[in-house]
Amino acid sequence: MIEPVELQDFFIVFFSGAMIIMTGALYALFFAWSRLQAKPWLMSLAYISYAALFVSVLTLAAAAHLYGFWWWLVVIMLVGYLFAPHGIWKLCVGTHSTHQGDNPPIPLSSEQTPNKIAEEKGI
Amino acid sequence: MNNITPWWSSESYWKKMAIWVTAFMFIVLIGLTIDTIPQITAGSERVPAYSVINKHIGYEFNDERNIQVPVIGAEDPLFGKVLSEEEAEALVSHGKKITQGRNCMGCHTLLGNGSYFAPDLTKAWLDPGWSSEPERENLMIEFLMDPIANARSFGSDRMMPNLDISRDEAKAVIAFLKWMSSIDTNGFPYNFTVIDKES
Amino acid sequence: MNINHLNGGQKLAVKYYIVAMVLFGAQILFGLLSGMQYLYPKLLFGILDFNVTRTVHINAMIVWMLYGFIGSVYWLLEEESETEVVGLKLGTLGFWVLTSAVTVVVLVFLLVQGGPGDDFTRWFINEGREYIEAPRWADIGIVVCMLIFFYNVSATFMKGKWSGISGVLTLDLVALAGIYIAGMFYTPNISMDQYWWWWVIHLWVEATWEVLVGCLMAWGLMKVLKVDRKIVTTWLYIEVALMFGSGILGLGHHYFWIGTPEYWLTIGGFFSALEPVPLVAMVVHAVYDSGVRHMKGNNNPALAWLIAHAFGNFFGAGVWGFMHTLPQINLYTHGTQWSASHGHLAFFGAYATIIIAMIYIAVPYIRGQEGIGSNLPDGGWKWKWALGLLNMGVVGMTIALLISGYEQSFIERAVGGSTWLGYFTAQIHPWFVQGMEWRMIFGVMTAAGIVLLLWDLLTIGKEPASNQKLQTKSS
Repeated sequence: MIEPVELQDFFIVFFSGAMIIMTGALYALFFAWSRLQAKPWLMSLAYISYAALFVSVLTLAAAAHLYGFWWWLVVIMLVGYLFAPHGIWKLCVGTHSTHQGDNPPIPLSSEQTPNKIAEEKGI
Repeated sequence: MNNITPWWSSESYWKKMAIWVTAFMFIVLIGLTIDTIPQITAGSERVPAYSVINKHIGYEFNDERNIQVPVIGAEDPLFGKVLSEEEAEALVSHGKKITQGRNCMGCHTLLGNGSYFAPDLTKAWLDPGWSSEPERENLMIEFLMDPIANARSFGSDRMMPNLDISRDEAKAVIAFLKWMSSIDTNGFPYNFTVIDKES
Repeated sequence: MNINHLNGGQKLAVKYYIVAMVLFGAQILFGLLSGMQYLYPKLLFGILDFNVTRTVHINAMIVWMLYGFIGSVYWLLEEESETEVVGLKLGTLGFWVLTSAVTVVVLVFLLVQGGPGDDFTRWFINEGREYIEAPRWADIGIVVCMLIFFYNVSATFMKGKWSGISGVLTLDLVALAGIYIAGMFYTPNISMDQYWWWWVIHLWVEATWEVLVGCLMAWGLMKVLKVDRKIVTTWLYIEVALMFGSGILGLGHHYFWIGTPEYWLTIGGFFSALEPVPLVAMVVHAVYDSGVRHMKGNNNPALAWLIAHAFGNFFGAGVWGFMHTLPQINLYTHGTQWSASHGHLAFFGAYATIIIAMIYIAVPYIRGQEGIGSNLPDGGWKWKWALGLLNMGVVGMTIALLISGYEQSFIERAVGGSTWLGYFTAQIHPWFVQGMEWRMIFGVMTAAGIVLLLWDLLTIGKEPASNQKLQTKSS
């Protein structure tokens, strides 16, 4: 059913596990930020984050022996994390158009810089 | 003004989604529970009957499952006395109530759950710290009755406090521990070293 | 304290908040004692043993968080329903009954501690099951008080008006009370015991509490940032779908090693990998929101704690959870300081932070003021330092425990084969000991943060603001 992690791979598993969540969030962050500000160079950072996520997932898969049936978990993570921010972004645009019909879906002009919160979120 | 809201981002759609997703997941959980309960009822393959304390219990590596699994062996009655199923259940139950009443989980883990101030008790019955199988029962009784004089601290300063456990109570606790060690825990704890068979 | 200008629900909420903060202090006091006992096992040996201090530590936490939740709900009840609380007298009685019961339970934990292995002990002294140690009489009392609370909430909304938030909240309270009953029975079978015990613990902490917090967060966002209700409500539904969608079967990651069948390894692994999805959703949404509106709040401490909540939830539940959730690695980390590390950050990040935010939202109303801006007479150093010390303290403890846990999974589990000898070999290893020392240092930092927090809550806004001019935001 499962092939336990080997002793020398412990750190790799913990680290790659943490990195999956961190890069997943970074990807989502850069993706959303790029869309928000219409800055394409941020999108490249987003996909660099996704590439790091990709490597992290494969590293975890190798170290935690995610083969056979568990390979599906790897595929789901890779595909899921790739498309989740796209879906959520669409949802953001969609939901925010509900009430404020007078606002365009992405009501941002270039002079509207992200405020303090966004900066803090950006770490 | 709502004319630009797509259906998939409307409040009513997500209200329905929230309800359906929750209901679906809960029904799946109920289904899994109905399947699991018989498999963890005492007397099943994974969770043996309480009278298993009449038998020898081992913990051996199973190549097919790639983990250690409990192996129930020949007659080996606890404290030399064969018990009926009812007597065994009463004894194990008394032992479990003692572990609850003395709040053992406040320091130990059982099946890995509890606190981390003292060793896990899942396979305590099989622990090599009890010297060898012939000596084990007596050492366990002595330890539980006076854990300070018989401290098993392995080089640390940590000791179990004296919880005023009587001889009969100690026996009940040991029965509970022996029974617990027979549960198939999918290989937890891993790479466990089992007590020597002979002294 | 003059609180006559508050509405009925808010007056009751203040009572709940006060007890919550007292218990928060108690939690840390007993946490410090437990931490010290790792370093000096002789400390209070035979008087207040580790199992006593630790039990009070975790139970005070559960109870203060419940008090915080209940208080928060009473606080928003009249505003949200646009009518007076129905059965407020009964609700107030419920508060006193619950508080007396909690006091008695804690005194019995401290003074009687334990008892013989019979039913009397379980009914009146200690049930001996982690987190739900409260004896059975208190369980029943808790359920009765929760029913009174539920009656207040549902009857008030029924009389006044329903909203998306109140609908989710009410249904969530039904689930919360119902699930508690799953822990109220005895069986000699430890596998069965833990199967249902996890229903209470997991489905509270990782499902119903999360949704309750989602309701509070939704209301808090409307309050502090004036976000539109319709948007907040839609996102609450999205969150419920995502959280229950991943969280209910996420229960599987507790069913790896307790005797349950092997298919739980797969279910637990899969749904654990899904659990970060709601968090990713929050990241995207937060960025979007920050761009769409100028997030200018009228309550800086509350806003800061809401942000701490977002980060704490992400790291505590997301990162720390996923690091050791797959069965391939959980086999080595289950029941080690890993769990303690994850527990500290997740409980603080997901729950303590939002309750503190809710209390800060209440404070200016209690003192009859508009909000808490940046024009405090002392520059708001107390709340800022409390925020910093508490967050740094908890993060520090989390990392210290992580190092100890890492060492433990290595030395005790993988090399030592999980025997008692392996356990103690790991406990006396320098990495472990130093981890415990650092945990203690950061624990003291956390305690200092709480002292400051309580001082600030008692005094903030009491003096008139010194400078009405807008200053640059220093948060």
